[in-house]
Amino acid sequence: MHRIKILFVFLILISSSAKANEAKDWLNKEIDIIISAYQNNNLPNENKFLMVENTINNNFAGTGIAKFVAGKSWNGASKEVKKEYIKLFKRHLALNISSMMQGYSDQEYQLTNSNYDEKNKVTLVDMEIFSDTGSIQVTWRVKKSKDRFFVIDLLVADISLVVTKRSEFNSMLKTVDYNLFEFNKKLLSQNESSYKKITN
Amino acid sequence: MNKLIHVILTFLILALSPSIFGAASDEVKTSSADFETTTFEDEIYDPLEGINRAIFSFNNVADRIVLEPVAKGYKKLPSPIQSGVGNFINNLKLPLAALNQLLQGQGKNAAESTGRFLVNSTVGVFGLIDVADNIGLDQKEEDFGQTLATWGVGDGFYIVLPLFGPSNVRDTTGMVMTMMTDPVNAYAASQGQAWAIPVKTAANAIDQRSQIIDEVNALRDNSVDYYAAVRSSYYQNRKAAIMNTDDDVLTPLPLISIEFE
Repeated sequence: MHRIKILFVFLILISSSAKANEAKDWLNKEIDIIISAYQNNNLPNENKFLMVENTINNNFAGTGIAKFVAGKSWNGASKEVKKEYIKLFKRHLALNISSMMQGYSDQEYQLTNSNYDEKNKVTLVDMEIFSDTGSIQVTWRVKKSKDRFFVIDLLVADISLVVTKRSEFNSMLKTVDYNLFEFNKKLLSQNESSYKKITN
Repeated sequence: MNKLIHVILTFLILALSPSIFGAASDEVKTSSADFETTTFEDEIYDPLEGINRAIFSFNNVADRIVLEPVAKGYKKLPSPIQSGVGNFINNLKLPLAALNQLLQGQGKNAAESTGRFLVNSTVGVFGLIDVADNIGLDQKEEDFGQTLATWGVGDGFYIVLPLFGPSNVRDTTGMVMTMMTDPVNAYAASQGQAWAIPVKTAANAIDQRSQIIDEVNALRDNSVDYYAAVRSSYYQNRKAAIMNTDDDVLTPLPLISIEFE
């Protein structure tokens, strides 16, 4: 009986490790796509952003994150308003990540560690970005669904992008009485301003 | 012609990346729990928000006019100089870090910090070279704010301090305690060199700011409410520092479910 227990624990560990490595390999490929865009000095900023946006739209759980970030304003909104909000949010997410990449100048990165969280069914992949004077720690939260992975959050130096966005949006939503239609106008204006800064 | 080459190049890169066009889009649905109000944003008690926002605006202007340009200039210095300055400042923090580790019952960390200080101050030429890192003595920062939190003192309300930036009642108290007990400050004052204290503080600010130029700009340029984004970031970062656990374990996991519609 004792041996069966040990075997069972061993199998769980092996399975978790395989899942974690699978997510790490997938993430490595996706990051390389974005990095290759930023390493190409011939590509204009518009094209670099387009690549980031495409990668994020296909690999981030954008709709799920958008709903989470909207908080309690979600339930009261119409279908059209929700649809518009999701579209704007996805662009906002891409602009945020693209903006973080603006200062990219051939820093090396390494996916250092990956762990599968059995309880939440989430893989946590640690990445270290090295510069001449130090390094910065990034953690990706990756979830699998229907045989493919989605990024559900990104943590830079202990700060979650999703949690920060939720807090930030909530603060702004308060000013429009949690009206998602009104908030969309602000988000659109912010996206336009961010896009100009990225492409200029 | 150049434009045409760019368009073709972009198309080729996109087309050759199977994961971009080959994958299904994230048409997902979430469970109702995903967008219920959680305590993430409600945990932050900010009764002085109006005053805080005014000070935050002032700090933001000061950052744009003074700190950011200086930090950008500093960033252009040869990396050994930047590393040397950073190492020197970090080394000066170690005696207080060791004290706070002791006060928090972290005997092993306190011994490591003391070891770091001794090795870097001697072999590392007054802390300019981080020799200790190469022998496995990692930098672990602890301050009085973290010690008070470990002893059960709550955050208090959120405060934005002029020039010093985001804080709360507990961490501001910790900062004052640090200023009063820092042996480096005490030594400088006793030698009639009190001017060195603000210089050390300013050098630390420039060194820290230079390491997050892109991150701060990304947050500032893309936030619908920059004040709220900084406030949330401050609280998350402090929680992680206080708990001394991995960020992924500590930060509440958003309940985002991914199921195809």
